[in-house]
Amino acid sequence: MKRYVVYTCFVMALIWACRKSGDNKPPAGPTPYTVTLPAHFPQPVYDLTQNPPTVEGIALGRRLFYDPRLSRDSTISCGFCHQQFAAFAHFDHALSHGIDNRNGFRSVPSLFNLLWQKDFMWDGGVNHLDIQPLTPITDANEMGEDLGRLIARLNADKKYRSMFDGAFGPGEINSQKLFRALSQFMATMNSFNSKYDSVLTHKAQFTPDEQAGYAIFQAKCASCHKEPLFTDGSFRNNGLPYNEFLNDAGRMRITNSTGDYLKFRVPSLRNIIKSPPYMHDGRFYDIYDVFEHYSSGIEQTPTIDPIVKNGIPLSQEEQRQLYFFLTTLTDYTFINNKSLSEILIDN
Amino acid sequence: MKPCYLIFTLLICCMACKKDLIPKKEGNFKLNFEHKVGTSRLTLGTTTYKNPSAESYTVTAFKYFISNVYLVKMDNSLLRLPISYHLVDESKPESKSILLLAPQGEYRAIGFKLGVDSTRNVSGAQTDALDPVLGMFWSWNSGYIMAKMEGASPVSAAPDKKLTFHVGGFKGQYNAVQDIRIQTPISINVGPDREPAVTFTTDLNAWFGPPNIVSFATTATIHSPGEAAWKISVNYKNMFRITNVTDL
Repeated sequence: MKRYVVYTCFVMALIWACRKSGDNKPPAGPTPYTVTLPAHFPQPVYDLTQNPPTVEGIALGRRLFYDPRLSRDSTISCGFCHQQFAAFAHFDHALSHGIDNRNGFRSVPSLFNLLWQKDFMWDGGVNHLDIQPLTPITDANEMGEDLGRLIARLNADKKYRSMFDGAFGPGEINSQKLFRALSQFMATMNSFNSKYDSVLTHKAQFTPDEQAGYAIFQAKCASCHKEPLFTDGSFRNNGLPYNEFLNDAGRMRITNSTGDYLKFRVPSLRNIIKSPPYMHDGRFYDIYDVFEHYSSGIEQTPTIDPIVKNGIPLSQEEQRQLYFFLTTLTDYTFINNKSLSEILIDN
Repeated sequence: MKPCYLIFTLLICCMACKKDLIPKKEGNFKLNFEHKVGTSRLTLGTTTYKNPSAESYTVTAFKYFISNVYLVKMDNSLLRLPISYHLVDESKPESKSILLLAPQGEYRAIGFKLGVDSTRNVSGAQTDALDPVLGMFWSWNSGYIMAKMEGASPVSAAPDKKLTFHVGGFKGQYNAVQDIRIQTPISINVGPDREPAVTFTTDLNAWFGPPNIVSFATTATIHSPGEAAWKISVNYKNMFRITNVTDL
């Protein structure tokens, strides 16, 4: 026993000696960051323990998000299409667009509360937040870059080398670090401070119009746009007249199942008034056009959702009240949050 | 019971326990992959081959994932090795040899998955052999391409007469991950002082049948999970043969 004590002391002395002979400062690891999760939300889908956010990782992710050099010709950043003032959707553009004036075939979805989303894109083709950015980065109609070339470019950049070292420890930059940094930043894009949330947590009250709109919402919209995320995460055919120019089969493209023909993700209604245009192809610029669609514009196709099959009649007064309720879903602290805002990349 | 028996029994027990304390010895063994088309050696580029439908073709890329390797002991029980993923790529000679560590013992068969299991397909950003930078990952419909073959054939109706077989899919009835188990012609002995090497000959022509004969005239492109990809995977399940076992 005595011998073990001696050995232990010896080993500890050695460790101490090494420590003294090395740098005087303790190695500066990244600073852990706790993402605030609202109490009135369900458990997130994304497992933050697999990619623990740090101050350095989030800062790196933010820089990557706003850096146009992630695209092939250094013109398009993630933030180019995902604008904060539009709840990270693309203001005024029906379809996504990218390098060389090319157009995508779907609208830019808003980005927030991604920790609660289990699959991504309008058709749910992407199954994990980490690898979601791979699609726009490599899509010829968006950022059009080759992942290998991008990783090489990042490795050749001194500033990025030091930021990646700071966030993930020293070593080559690889795609996993790139994607995890972007996820860490996206994990901070959360919207739960709207007036609706204040009412829910008894800090504010709806006006009579908003209250009436809320009742209409609960009666006519809530089964798909489920509170508090305002989506149930499902894919549905909501009876949009078929767009022959885009010829988009929707989720069937992913599942190969004819039962999924023309089905698209149910989007969240949070920040909806700030993020037009609407629908997977951005066909409606005005929320009242959306109301009219459900009220009287449903097209019957074999996969139409039973909930909307017979339309959802909405009188002019109901539409007006619904509009007032939807404005309570705008989260001004989110769309004005300085820690999410665009940064200029000048080196 | 006489005390001496008791002591004897205890001693045996102690010895048995003591044996367990000796660290298990391990050894390396190697899996080598040699690529052929029919009876000819595979060369990327201009060499022309014939598929089972007698259509000629050339090959520019040939790669596939080997994962979840296990060994079969002489008593037919399975020994699963720690899960690792290897991308065997004809264009990278070093990738055609996989070094693995296994406990000392004698083994009669080797098994592995050809492809990437479903768990890894839904676990977010991966590194090393699974890094999407290697071009074996679909981003529009998340998932790994389990095996990839590219080339050209005069009968192909695709632009530039190309052949593009990207075989993947990890869900449901068209799961293209295939379990492969092959008996070794002689048992392989793994131990600290030996490094057996098992050479698999991989025949690219197996991709095009049987059982599902593929004609390049009608099928030249597979770019998504589904029935067509799965049928190829059923074919290529048969592409491996052990052609050599060396024990050094």
